Amino acid sequence: MAESSQSKSGGKKRPRSESEGDPDADADAASLQSIQLENDLNFTDTAIALQMMKAQFPKLDKVVVRPFILRSQLYSSVKDRTQVDRDLESLKKEAVVRVFKLNTGKDDHAIMFMDDYLAQMENAVKRYDAKDKQLSDVFDWFKQYVIKSKTDVSISHPELCSLLSNGGDVTEKHVTLLINAGLLTRQLIDQNLYWFVIPNIGSILKGLSQGRKELLSLINRTKYKEMVLANLEKKRLRLSPLDIRFHIRDLIGSGLLKTVQSPIGLLIRLSRD
Amino acid sequence: MWTWKALKQREDGLLRPSAFRRGVVSSRASSLQLSNAKEFISLHRGAINSLEIDSTEGEGRYLLSAASDGTVAVFDTHRPTSSSTSSCASIAQHHPLFHLPRAHKFAISRALWYPVDTGLFITASFDHYVKLWDTNSTQVVLDYKLPAKVYGIAMSSIATSHSLIATATADVQVRLCDLASGAFAHTLSGHRDGVMSLEWSSSTEFVLITGGCDGAIRFWDIRRPGTFLLLDQSLSQLGTRPPLLPTPTPSNNESTSLPASSKSSSSTPILPAQKRRSHKKIQLKPPTQSSHPGMASSQNRATAHYGAVNGLRATADGFYLLSSGSDSRLRLWDIESGRNTLVNYEAMSIQTSKPIQLAVTPDSSLVFVPCLASLKAYDLWSGTTINTYRGHYESVNCCFFNAQYQELYTGSNDRQILVWSPSIPAATQIVYLYILGIP
Repeated sequence: MAESSQSKSGGKKRPRSESEGDPDADADAASLQSIQLENDLNFTDTAIALQMMKAQFPKLDKVVVRPFILRSQLYSSVKDRTQVDRDLESLKKEAVVRVFKLNTGKDDHAIMFMDDYLAQMENAVKRYDAKDKQLSDVFDWFKQYVIKSKTDVSISHPELCSLLSNGGDVTEKHVTLLINAGLLTRQLIDQNLYWFVIPNIGSILKGLSQGRKELLSLINRTKYKEMVLANLEKKRLRLSPLDIRFHIRDLIGSGLLKTVQSPIGLLIRLSRD
Repeated sequence: MWTWKALKQREDGLLRPSAFRRGVVSSRASSLQLSNAKEFISLHRGAINSLEIDSTEGEGRYLLSAASDGTVAVFDTHRPTSSSTSSCASIAQHHPLFHLPRAHKFAISRALWYPVDTGLFITASFDHYVKLWDTNSTQVVLDYKLPAKVYGIAMSSIATSHSLIATATADVQVRLCDLASGAFAHTLSGHRDGVMSLEWSSSTEFVLITGGCDGAIRFWDIRRPGTFLLLDQSLSQLGTRPPLLPTPTPSNNESTSLPASSKSSSSTPILPAQKRRSHKKIQLKPPTQSSHPGMASSQNRATAHYGAVNGLRATADGFYLLSSGSDSRLRLWDIESGRNTLVNYEAMSIQTSKPIQLAVTPDSSLVFVPCLASLKAYDLWSGTTINTYRGHYESVNCCFFNAQYQELYTGSNDRQILVWSPSIPAATQIVYLYILGIP
């Protein structure tokens, strides 16, 4: 699958099988720009793709967020979507990554490595100083009992209480504290179900949806609704703190943009349907 | 060319006749194009919501179509009524055998043939009525009044001991109407919002599968109350089923996979015993409804899709179920284990307001999904897009695969029924039809 795509485009795609040295090199901001997205668009394996995209996560100045990857970005990078889903499922079960459902758009999921998520949770808890020191034990209980055993994107209220009560007596105030700290959110359709969320990510999600719209309108304004990838990469998005590669991968994966080979190079075209 | 070589091999005995037939059928099914030899002249003045060909033994000939202006029409797919002659090609035109202009007051959501023969057909509409018609006299024989608008109906084609019509309405209860007595047999309750799609199992005559607007897919055995299986999208299997004997170290997902077969096991999490403190744990409230073994608890809130389930189709062998939801995902479920097989069907956008009709080829190789104004064909097992059929001007609502001729019929909001037939050169077309035994 990936081999055929490599041979199709001739010598353009560098083989990505050895990735140990590359993430360190890519983390350097200067060399990020020098590697063309065109050479970097496809990967052979889900785990490698996750590592590479985590390394290429843009550095944000205002908010401190650990790198996360969107599911649609994975779909655009690895050819076989079913294999991506299955690999992701096994990575989830091994507790290497954690998947969260986002509220931007229809089927958005964010994938974060477990250690990144735990570090993000620590930051959020530190920043949120609980008035009642007794209640703040619930954060340790949450980390120890709930995160480790429940690998889904949502959890029901009875199950949450029973898992937390392994640490101590649980009351509604504990659950309120978790929601206020930003670790859980209620579901709109059902009051007894909660989504797991990445804390302090709100401004980035806003940037995500606005950046998507801006990128789509950018391509929409061109005469033939297409643009050369090399030129598109150089543009900067006004409304989103995330860089344009992030958005390009995401939109290709969700099917709103498609790539077309041309004599000039790779073109990005708005897909009509 | 593949066929000539295969023909020679069949003559020599290197290729079995059944394998040859399978190869011919599947190559025809994957090369569909807008037909330039056949068309249906539809007199409907509203969006076409349902298409169905009768399933009588060996002869699937009559196409029943229903539209949102309350009209029903039947077409003969074998014999054209006239042909338009032009200088280069003649297209066989099929006019409706009959067209009922005022079958229902409001839009008809589904029309079905009686599974045994074409003497009866059943229509269900948004005017809350399900009507049974006699085909020869085109008169209503029976009608059932339901409390809310009807989204779909289904009758089991393998049923020998019952003749029940299952109805899916905007009301939370699924009602079974009995044809033999003309009354309601019983109601199945468990959904928390309206029911949009339903399907009888293709392997057992007593199992009904319903998909609701709350995103849940439930399996009902109509001989006893309650759901015995609820499909949960977070429970998955990677291709093959999990082993029958339990492994020594159970994973966390296994504990939630079985429906609440015993009340006591539903609240204990899997944790090492030495972490327990001395004070007691919070117990779950006991379920208010008594459950007996094999029945899923009514507290089970598992969803199969993040939106409404608007299309259901079981494969012909009865092992797998396809469901499409308004979250624009198509999922393949293994019915026996009740798990999501995680096959990812590439990006599609499914209309959210109406139930849609999916089609699967009988050898379970391709699935046809209406995606807004086009129809996409996916490989069932890998999820790759095989083909996109663009021909309609507005959203496609329904599609039906005629397995005998390998033709696809699609109906859409633009009031047209389009025919998609295999695009094979004319000389080999004659050979194919001869091989398939069609005179």
